[in-house]
Amino acid sequence: MLQVKDLHKSYKTGKTIYEVLKGVDLSVAQGEFVAVMGPSGSGKTTLLNCISCYIPFDGGQITLGGQELKDLTEDSLAKVRNKKLGFVFQDFMLLDGLSVLDNILLPRIIGGDTSKVMEQRGNELCEMFGISQIKNKYPAEISGGEKQRTAVARALINEPLMILADEPTGNLDSKSSRAVISSFEEARNKLSATIFMVTHDSFAASFCDRVIILKDGAVYCTLEKKRGEERGVFQDKLLSAIKEMSGELA
Amino acid sequence: MKNFGEINAALRQKNHKNYTLLVLCNFVSVLLITAYVSIMRSPTVLMILPEGGDSRKQAMMIFALAVVGCGAFSTYAASLFFRYKSRETGIFMALGASRKQICKQLFRELSAISIGSCAAGALLGTPLAWCVWQLFRLLVVDTQEMALSFDPHAYLIAAAFSLYTIVSLFIMGTRFVKRTNIIDIVNEQRKSEPIRDVKPWFGPIGIVLIIAGGFGGYMAPHAYMKLFSAYAPAWINIFYFPLIVGLYMVLLHTVIRGWGKGKNRYKNIIARSMMKFQGRQTVNNMLVITVLIAGAYFAAFYTPMTSSGMLQIIDQRPVDYAFRYREDQNMLTQSDIEKMASEKGVAITDWRDADTAILGRDGKSEVNDGNGKFHYEYNKLNSEGNYISQSNYNKMTGQNINIEPGKFAMVLSDETSGSDMDQGFTSLLTNMTTQKTLSVSFQKNLHYNMMASSNFIHYFVLNDADYATIAESLKNEWYEKMVCFNVKNVMQTYDFSKELYNSIIDHSGPECEIPEYYDRVGKITANGAGEAYWGDTSSLSKINYNDRGSSQFKQSWKYAPQFRVLDKNDLISTYAVYLMLFVFISVICFAAVLVIGYTRCLTIALNNHQVYDDLRHLGATPKYLHNSVRGQISKVFGIPGFIGTLLMFVFYVMILYFNDNSITSSEAVGLRSCLYVIIGMSAVIWGFYRVTLHKVCGMLNVKSFKEMTTENNAG
Repeated sequence: MLQVKDLHKSYKTGKTIYEVLKGVDLSVAQGEFVAVMGPSGSGKTTLLNCISCYIPFDGGQITLGGQELKDLTEDSLAKVRNKKLGFVFQDFMLLDGLSVLDNILLPRIIGGDTSKVMEQRGNELCEMFGISQIKNKYPAEISGGEKQRTAVARALINEPLMILADEPTGNLDSKSSRAVISSFEEARNKLSATIFMVTHDSFAASFCDRVIILKDGAVYCTLEKKRGEERGVFQDKLLSAIKEMSGELA
Repeated sequence: MKNFGEINAALRQKNHKNYTLLVLCNFVSVLLITAYVSIMRSPTVLMILPEGGDSRKQAMMIFALAVVGCGAFSTYAASLFFRYKSRETGIFMALGASRKQICKQLFRELSAISIGSCAAGALLGTPLAWCVWQLFRLLVVDTQEMALSFDPHAYLIAAAFSLYTIVSLFIMGTRFVKRTNIIDIVNEQRKSEPIRDVKPWFGPIGIVLIIAGGFGGYMAPHAYMKLFSAYAPAWINIFYFPLIVGLYMVLLHTVIRGWGKGKNRYKNIIARSMMKFQGRQTVNNMLVITVLIAGAYFAAFYTPMTSSGMLQIIDQRPVDYAFRYREDQNMLTQSDIEKMASEKGVAITDWRDADTAILGRDGKSEVNDGNGKFHYEYNKLNSEGNYISQSNYNKMTGQNINIEPGKFAMVLSDETSGSDMDQGFTSLLTNMTTQKTLSVSFQKNLHYNMMASSNFIHYFVLNDADYATIAESLKNEWYEKMVCFNVKNVMQTYDFSKELYNSIIDHSGPECEIPEYYDRVGKITANGAGEAYWGDTSSLSKINYNDRGSSQFKQSWKYAPQFRVLDKNDLISTYAVYLMLFVFISVICFAAVLVIGYTRCLTIALNNHQVYDDLRHLGATPKYLHNSVRGQISKVFGIPGFIGTLLMFVFYVMILYFNDNSITSSEAVGLRSCLYVIIGMSAVIWGFYRVTLHKVCGMLNVKSFKEMTTENNAG
């Protein structure tokens, strides 16, 4: 589904160049729920922004559904973002002037769809994520958890190849976080969605099938949840790996 | 079901304040510029302002400032708009909207906003100018010349400014959609400007540059003329440039570093840091406001300087009535005038009259070479001068002076020092009838206001014997009679003065229908050299007895009488168009200042809502929050207000001083009136600042002092 090979990205601030990604390699299969973890500055969000084509990258290869992203034109990239990717952001990125349902339908409207079927699909997603009762409200009138579930529904409206989520639980309390993770699980289970999530939160990551840990712009290690392994046990493994990486176990 | 256009429409409705702000800013900019240019290009004004004259240049200079100010303001408003638009555009792009889709929507919006607001501003600008002008006519002064007419060409300039506004908006829009980094676009709204270090020497060096620019810019044309014997070209104004750079540096220093040494830096940390992180925007706005305030004061000072200075000169005249006429004219006699006075119940006292001879003077005159250069040329018959004998001078003035044989004295006003006026320039006098000459040299300056009221008509005193020798056989057309008298209760004699003024004109022939700068000796010299005299060909020298009520005639007729009551009562109406033009310019500039300041303050409220919520959560008291808001709003109005006012007042004093290396008493009176204008305008700005502060506090949910006091009292 997604393949990242030898990805490099650096930023320039004044005369100083900061190399953020130093040759990242990873792949995500269809239907997988993958998390990327790592300390601040390890390059998690930069990695996600490169995969989303939000920012240009310096070197390497990103292939999504067999399509190489680097060579695409602006218009083709817009189509990839619209049809093949769904996005969930830490600060929701909902438009305040649109209702919950309009926000959910926005990717389809941008794609030129104004059909009844689209509205029906939006209502189904509202139903699925338990936000039907607020679908006509505006973002300012709903809670953080509801906003993020709206964002997840929006990410799924075009039935994308992959959902990219950047710290989706970062601004939420534990109850809302749980609801958002459940949304992802539901999307994966019911809609066979592939989810690629960047997070700091080991609790959220423990629901994933696989967790990639980044350190200093490169993959430090990958932990895979075994079939039938309990979530709590997997979370302990994650915490141990993070401690080991930061040298606390040495 | 909604389409992309309808989605945009819904967002527009929700965020109508941002759209309204841009529409209003564009509208106001174009409105003010159109109103200004409508008046500037109006035949009413152009007829009064001589082409190439100082007044027209000054009005044009302030117009240029207003254009730059309003242009910068429109650009600022557009940048605010795109800053707001960045988040929603970034989200659209993140969700897969193509550049084409975004361009289509954005440019449709920009077209509607820019064309609509600019067209409305351009259409309403002229009616606004008309309304303000009619208000002046209704409330201040109304004369025949104040009747306003418009030149359709003014709309070309207004259209050009509108076009600039529209094009700059589209250029910014194009640059906006061309960006590719979606994360940068989304975060644009909350991005702070990178702070550039402002060194401690910025402020002091800025002050030095302001002084150097102001002084250098003023002196450069004079220096150029002296060095190159050529008229200073327009680019010479580049010497003012250090003033603008200095101003920018001082504002940067003030906003980012502050001037207080050893002050507690934590005291205003919020206000200062918030302004600091929007330093470029803040300083750009402040610079525009400062320049416009300076321009507004420059215009506003014109009326009080002119009117109060003139009033003082009129008050200081040693006699109530004075006039002069050519002795070949069939003028009113003393008994005619006394009869007229007695019919009006006016008692004439102290009647004095004397002959003066118009003689040719030698000297050097400036000759235009036609390529911007000039040279001086000596002429035996260079210009005319009014010469009076020593005994007649003593009789007319009550002074007791003695002129040596072969010498002459020049008569100046009480205020003129005359250090470099005429000494040594005249060495030969010519009788214009017999061509007999007399060699003379300068002895001294004398002072008598009635013989020094014009910049073009100069009086000189000769020894009695010299006067008799040179004036011998002079025909009447080269003689003038000067008449002076007083009246009892002079301020009650307006009707008499008016009738006498009209009678003098009625008794003057067509040969006297000339302006004060028409020089008969100069004409003879020019004609003698086979050239046409400029006074016979230039439209500037055309005056007409039928326009005797017009300011142009009153100001420029060669034989215009000096009647205290008439001149005093008609002062405002005589200079009505001049005075009202500059009042109008000042009003336009001040209006621009208030609108720009207000907009800047509103953006402080719009951009910093979250900061004030956070401060509230950190336990900031209403008083602390209010002080922090006040700290910012007061700076937006206060700093440019203070610097602009100080700058223009000092500049004005400098101009007055370097005119004749002194500040005369009438100039001092004018400057005092300017101070009253400063107090008045500062009060208006302060009032507007209070209203703005109240509005911004309301937007940020910060209680005003009034609300706090009411609450405390209720508690």
